[in-house]
Amino acid sequence: YKFYNRGISKYLSWISKIQVNHPAVLRRAEQIQARRPVKKEWQAAWLLKAVTFIDLTTLSGDDTSSNIQRLCYKAKYPIREDLLKALNMHDKGITTAAVCVYPARVCDAVKALKAVGCNIPVASVATGFPAGQTHLKTRLEEIRLAVEDGATEIDVVINRTLVLTGQWEALYGEIRQFRKACGEAHLKTILATGELGSLTNVYKASMIAMMAGSDFIKTSTGKETVNATFPVAIVMLRAIRDFFWKTGNKIGFKPAGGIRSAKDSLAWLSLVKEELGDEWLKPELFRIGASTLLSDIERQIYHHVTGRYAAYHDLPMS
Amino acid sequence: MRTGVIGLILPSTFSFLEMMWRICPALAVGCTVVALVPPASPTPLLLAQLAGELGPFPGIINVISGPASLGPVLASQPGVQKVAFCGALEEGRALRRALAGEGAELGLALGAEALLLLSDAADVDSAVEGVVDAAWSDRSPGGLRLLVQESVWEEAMRRLQARMGRLRCGRGLDGAVDMGARGAAARDLAQRYVREAQSQGAQVFQAGDVPLDSPFYPPTLVSDLPPASPCAQAEVPWPVVVASPFRTAKEALALANGTPRGGSASVWSERLGQALELGYGLRVGTVWINSHGLRDPAVPTGGCKESGSSWHGGPDGLYEYLRPSGTPARLSYLSKNLNYDSFGLVVPSALPAGPETGPTPAPPYGLFVGGRFQAPGARSSRPIQDAFGNLHGYVAEGGAKDIRGAVEAAHQAASSWAGQSPGARRALLWALAAALERRESALASRLERQGVELKAAKAEVELSVRRLRAWGAQAQAQGQTLQLGVLAIVCPDEWPLLAFVSLLAPALAHGNTVVMVPSGACPLLALEVCQDMATLFPAGLVNVVTGDRDHLTRCLALHQDIQALWYFGSAQGSQFVEWASAGNLKPVWVSRGLPRAWEQEAEGAGPELGLRAARTKALWLPMGD
Repeated sequence: YKFYNRGISKYLSWISKIQVNHPAVLRRAEQIQARRPVKKEWQAAWLLKAVTFIDLTTLSGDDTSSNIQRLCYKAKYPIREDLLKALNMHDKGITTAAVCVYPARVCDAVKALKAVGCNIPVASVATGFPAGQTHLKTRLEEIRLAVEDGATEIDVVINRTLVLTGQWEALYGEIRQFRKACGEAHLKTILATGELGSLTNVYKASMIAMMAGSDFIKTSTGKETVNATFPVAIVMLRAIRDFFWKTGNKIGFKPAGGIRSAKDSLAWLSLVKEELGDEWLKPELFRIGASTLLSDIERQIYHHVTGRYAAYHDLPMS
Repeated sequence: MRTGVIGLILPSTFSFLEMMWRICPALAVGCTVVALVPPASPTPLLLAQLAGELGPFPGIINVISGPASLGPVLASQPGVQKVAFCGALEEGRALRRALAGEGAELGLALGAEALLLLSDAADVDSAVEGVVDAAWSDRSPGGLRLLVQESVWEEAMRRLQARMGRLRCGRGLDGAVDMGARGAAARDLAQRYVREAQSQGAQVFQAGDVPLDSPFYPPTLVSDLPPASPCAQAEVPWPVVVASPFRTAKEALALANGTPRGGSASVWSERLGQALELGYGLRVGTVWINSHGLRDPAVPTGGCKESGSSWHGGPDGLYEYLRPSGTPARLSYLSKNLNYDSFGLVVPSALPAGPETGPTPAPPYGLFVGGRFQAPGARSSRPIQDAFGNLHGYVAEGGAKDIRGAVEAAHQAASSWAGQSPGARRALLWALAAALERRESALASRLERQGVELKAAKAEVELSVRRLRAWGAQAQAQGQTLQLGVLAIVCPDEWPLLAFVSLLAPALAHGNTVVMVPSGACPLLALEVCQDMATLFPAGLVNVVTGDRDHLTRCLALHQDIQALWYFGSAQGSQFVEWASAGNLKPVWVSRGLPRAWEQEAEGAGPELGLRAARTKALWLPMGD
């Protein structure tokens, strides 16, 4: 990705007047899920498209090079070859968008992807993932080390303390430092919306993150009690649209955590299409952070191609 | 007790749910229903099928599919006790005029336009979703007037237009579609309105993924429509939204209340105090705060002003289909040769039959308007005779100008009286009761001159005092009610003191200001009471105008700024009042020329009086952050 967002100076007045009405946003979220269902061959096409948005993720304490290797192989060949042939999509180069791992596993991931012959980026989480409650110095050092190891995308977590105490300028300052530490790498800012307290805070944090130079804003780490939900996403998408209207910069969106079924992923695609439009439906501007989602999508595609429901052992593990 | 047979006239725009919301309460209290539905829509046929499946109780729902012209025919059937009409304004008016004198009760629910008020403290994106719900979905009843605060005008318009671009229209049964179509007639109406708006200088924006063929009409946003243009006064059809800016909350209220329609409205503001102030200030039946279109069968839904005053849902909806026990069944008292144009127009001049002899009478009473006695515009008075043929006194001859002045005075006093606490209202009514007690001997002697025995006269005064106290206590007990506004009451000729007080007390207890025409036979009793009211009551709270009853009734019935009219007089007068109320569609209560037993609790002080003196308003405020 040649272009990355360099950030612009802050305009705090943009965020001071903002109001978000929670019950109204909830109603809109229910509405979107109920309408715009996708069926039949269009559903299969949308599911394949959803695969290309996935950041295939493994963030566990028991990650070793063997499961990283399996993950990278799955990233290169997300859907079984014969199913893709049946849909005539085997030569379109369908892979997931990226692979997302802890900083210590970045070297393994880079090596595994090279061995498989895949040039998708390796994304690393950083800055004290998932809680972010470590000293700023170590957080910045984490980013630098991950970039050195070969990660071309960095998922950072913001300091929720600053949001909950209303220190917006300090938050802006921190994210600017993350931006600098990333250098050429893509910066994805995780807002951890489940811990921000109110939708108004979510909007304000989104704006600050974008103003400070993020390339993507991400809903959650996946480790909170409440991760990516539609109301929060609507607020963040509105923030992205407002930022685009004010500055002309398109910032990407990534929901992560709790997206397990193929039906959910279609609902997310519909949401982005409704709120932002088709230009955002490409991997440069939209990602889904998921791990088990891919197997559910594969099962749906299996059903679409063969008309039968697959057993657990019919499809390769990731 | 239940009313009996209800004739229900439904428009083609109603969904099945809305039809059931009107039929089920009627059935629940024991009435049977005859529904007249327009022939082109399939939904009512489902209704008819359901009705046919009611084996054990055949005939409780009957469905007639026919043109709107059958409405008056259905309404004039002698077996129909009440007619409930839902639909367009002009048809409702015509029905009101046609039913004058028929003796059936009429409930009107007219118009479908809604209002959305967007202040600068609102969540604009959510308010835009509210506009979509209100105007560009299959659930929306009609068009929308959108008032946007000037400081957020640009933002709101931009978001609205972007949102419109994402709307999808198509066949209603396709689940992925936002709005369907409502037939060629609705499409033509919308098209005509938009063309006229354009010719009057408005900007029109249309967008959305819409099939080009009829009867689909794209979502439409009209802005820059001059407020004085005819389109700005007319009802906005579906799916059109007419947007206008406002500067302050006060201006917003003035703009919002400045139409004759008063159905439903939503207020969008995150500042609680401002939202509630706007919500209370809007003259509509339902207010939603930071939401739009929420409905629940337990919440009364209705309107005011020209949106008709009938309710559905909640206890008010049930009262629509009930009447007080002991009320006689419908009796048509139609007088076919009543000339509406000339009724009460000219006051018959009464020259004295001969020279008047007797003791020097007291100087003539003036009209009691604006808290003091004033001379009438016509500067003449009429003599009042007592039961023995002697001259009892002179009272003023009020006319149209005096009625106008009285209504104005009542309006001026209305806002401060409505803002009084229930305790203050009770205090005033009790003060009047005490004053009447002190005046008992004077009142009793006047009643004696009218031919009432001394004992009965004293009893009448006592009963009046008791009633005042009872209504005062009730005012405090039930807390804040919503007043109608200015209530005009034409008192019956009999029971000159008791009826006057029995009608005055509930009207005041519920926060209204009144213009009263006292008994024609002996208005002096009412004027005696006015002497006390002059010192105790704020100016304009109660206004009493004497004169020719038919002429004054005519003036009151035709007045556009009276919120309700109670008439206890002749059958012809009742018919005229019903006919003339079609002007501003004020709710009326007429006696049809039948006497009422004022001395009995049920008829003189029953709950019916309280129900007719107040109205309801629903305020929705979803919570959550």
